[in-house]
Amino acid sequence: MTLKQKRKQRTIISLLNDILAVMWAEFRTMFKDRGVVIMLVLAPLVYPVLYGLIYKNETLTKVPVAAVDCSESQTSRELLRHLDATQSVQIAYRFNSLEEAKKAFNNKLVHGVVYIPADFAKKLNYGDQTTVSIYCDISSFMYYRIINQACTNCILDMNKRIQLDRLNANGIAGEEAEIIANPVQYSGTALYNEGAGFASFLLPALLIIILQQTLFLGIGMITGTSREENRFHELVSTTVHRGKILRVIIGKSVCYFALYGVWSFFMLGVIPHVFDLPHIGITADLILFIIPFLLSVIFFSMTVSVFLPNRETGMVLFLSFSLVLLFISGFSWPPSNIHWFWKTFAWIFPSTSGVQGYLKINTMAGTLRTVSQEYISLWIQTGLYFMTTFITYRWQIKRISNKLALESEPVLS
Amino acid sequence: MLKNLVTGLKTTLNREIKRMLSRPIYFICTVLTMSFCYVFFLTFFNEGQPNKMPIAVVDMDHSSLSRQITRNLEATQQAEIIMHLNSHKEAREELQRGNIYGFMEIKRGFSKEIISNRRPMLNFYVNDAYLIAGSLLNKDLMYMSAATSIGVQQKILRAKGMEENRIMGILQPIAIDTHLIGNAWANYGTYLLNVILPGILQLMVMLITVFAIGVEFKERTAHDWIGSTGNKMFPALTGKLLPYTIVFTTLGIIGNLLLYSYMRYPLNTSIGWMFVSTFLLVVASQSLGILFIGITPVLRDGVTIAGFFGMLGVSFAGSAFPIEQMPYPTRIFSDLFPMRHYFNIYVNQALNGMNVRYSLISILALVSFSILPFFVYNRLRNAAIRQNYPVK
Repeated sequence: MTLKQKRKQRTIISLLNDILAVMWAEFRTMFKDRGVVIMLVLAPLVYPVLYGLIYKNETLTKVPVAAVDCSESQTSRELLRHLDATQSVQIAYRFNSLEEAKKAFNNKLVHGVVYIPADFAKKLNYGDQTTVSIYCDISSFMYYRIINQACTNCILDMNKRIQLDRLNANGIAGEEAEIIANPVQYSGTALYNEGAGFASFLLPALLIIILQQTLFLGIGMITGTSREENRFHELVSTTVHRGKILRVIIGKSVCYFALYGVWSFFMLGVIPHVFDLPHIGITADLILFIIPFLLSVIFFSMTVSVFLPNRETGMVLFLSFSLVLLFISGFSWPPSNIHWFWKTFAWIFPSTSGVQGYLKINTMAGTLRTVSQEYISLWIQTGLYFMTTFITYRWQIKRISNKLALESEPVLS
Repeated sequence: MLKNLVTGLKTTLNREIKRMLSRPIYFICTVLTMSFCYVFFLTFFNEGQPNKMPIAVVDMDHSSLSRQITRNLEATQQAEIIMHLNSHKEAREELQRGNIYGFMEIKRGFSKEIISNRRPMLNFYVNDAYLIAGSLLNKDLMYMSAATSIGVQQKILRAKGMEENRIMGILQPIAIDTHLIGNAWANYGTYLLNVILPGILQLMVMLITVFAIGVEFKERTAHDWIGSTGNKMFPALTGKLLPYTIVFTTLGIIGNLLLYSYMRYPLNTSIGWMFVSTFLLVVASQSLGILFIGITPVLRDGVTIAGFFGMLGVSFAGSAFPIEQMPYPTRIFSDLFPMRHYFNIYVNQALNGMNVRYSLISILALVSFSILPFFVYNRLRNAAIRQNYPVK
């Protein structure tokens, strides 16, 4: 072994030693600090379970509605019977007037009203068109959707039968009538979220946001604390880094990455199974996708955390921003309809690509190729935020060494 | 006695205003955060409903009828055809990439099958992983498919020489007329913003209340704070929090004005009721904030509890997913959140325009939150005088 090789070997060993030292130091500070443990250990454990429990019922069942049947005919009773038999709606009250129904609605006894007019049966008997009115509670979008859907389906079914009757009455019968009643059949298929479940829609996006935000706030807390505790409000104690910024950054990020690798497995691997959320993605692709996501979040957080003066500031300043991040990620309001300005703004945060990519792989069974756009942008963010972390850390360390230099100078009197 | 109280109040008030101006965090967390959220959410949901969402058509029939269906789809408000694809596989891949949210598939020989009475199938697919886009497109595509079917029916019946008025009765014997109570049209912004904006407000109120008090313990200035009123907790607390009550209520009222006057979201009552409930929400959240920092006069823990509670408040309003349909323990738990009661008042008053007596219980619930500070009154006072809590 030449001298050069030996020296090289020694540098590598010292590099690894330094990185390990920083990593262990970071782990120790993390677990000694109650606040950080809450943010980086308790929150990722509790939040997903809590939200999973709150939204356990994916969809609404047996929503109480009132029926106002002014027709009191066989057909109207049949229609109401069918409606009552659906999974989603139940006829909880029957009233003689809309006024009474409104009272029940105001008292929150029902969330919708089905009104059948007095001439309902008469018009049907004459072969005319009649109208059924539906009134929906719209305090929640879910009420409107479920009541409207149940009524529409029941009435469409009934229409088909009445059509056949009428065609028969007009002398068209048998197969010919069937054909006229249904010349074109149609079928709609809702993909990737059978039964239009609310949890299946919200939770995948929310899990990614929780991963990012707890990590971000946790790192902010750690940095803010070391700033408060050290002599010159510096970020890393001078004894550890010995001026070697890269080792500090890598050591710290390995520590965060290891912890959040575990949490990613828990949130994206275990939680979807426990709460029966969509999980039809390819595991290998999911793992490959999560790597740049975690890295970009880590470096993004390390960069921003440099500017936090205190340990609590990050939480107070940025917690509410989680809601902005959730919506800007485009899981609910479709990305195609987001204004270009907000779309560009959204690109700053890893969660945007993270949510979209995770949805596409996990919920829509896409592959890494499907999410190439998100995947590449996460790697770009990783590179970019690594550089900003490097720059900000160097700037901080320079400031400290300047202060140290100033202090060591003898004071001339 | 009363004079002492007033002087004490004045001293703390002056002291607090000076503190507020000396640190940027107070300005950022009140005016700046709320303004940003107002601008963000109002411009984000400006459209009301997502229109012209991208879909694809897989037309393997290439007949005049299939072209007619495509034209009809283009005319719908919510869908826009951005792609003409050749196979189901291609369309499905585009769906997975998120380039389209749905597609209509017209099979080869579709129009021929109609003519030969073989009742062909028209298939459409929507992506319900994007639930909003999926369900809105589902409605549009369903409607267009039904319209296609009805169009063919009409043609056949006319060819049979049936009278026009009889045809209508056969095509659609029972029509549906859906009314949305309170909200003239299904505006997505109405559902969300009436909860999210007050939700962020109450979160910020809790955080700032905890911060403003907790930072005195942390920086060991609590003694000075309570000392300025002669160790009287009541004027010390009132003087400290009154500026925030005013600032946050003003910001909340600006939010009300933006929603109901500027965006013209449904308001079937006097806007004054919303102002009152906004004020009550602010005070209730402040009371909770005092409780949190009173339970643990350690800033970092107080902030964590406030953040946790405030974030959950948005879910527990029960707007996105109704509370009544959540698991039973959740329903009871939801009453602990001021947002739940605020949301009830909003639904009763602004949305449904009901008599105020229906909201009375929710108003009382909001008011009753102000009892909470009394539970930690002595604890907080002792902590402030002795400053015997760990600062970290």
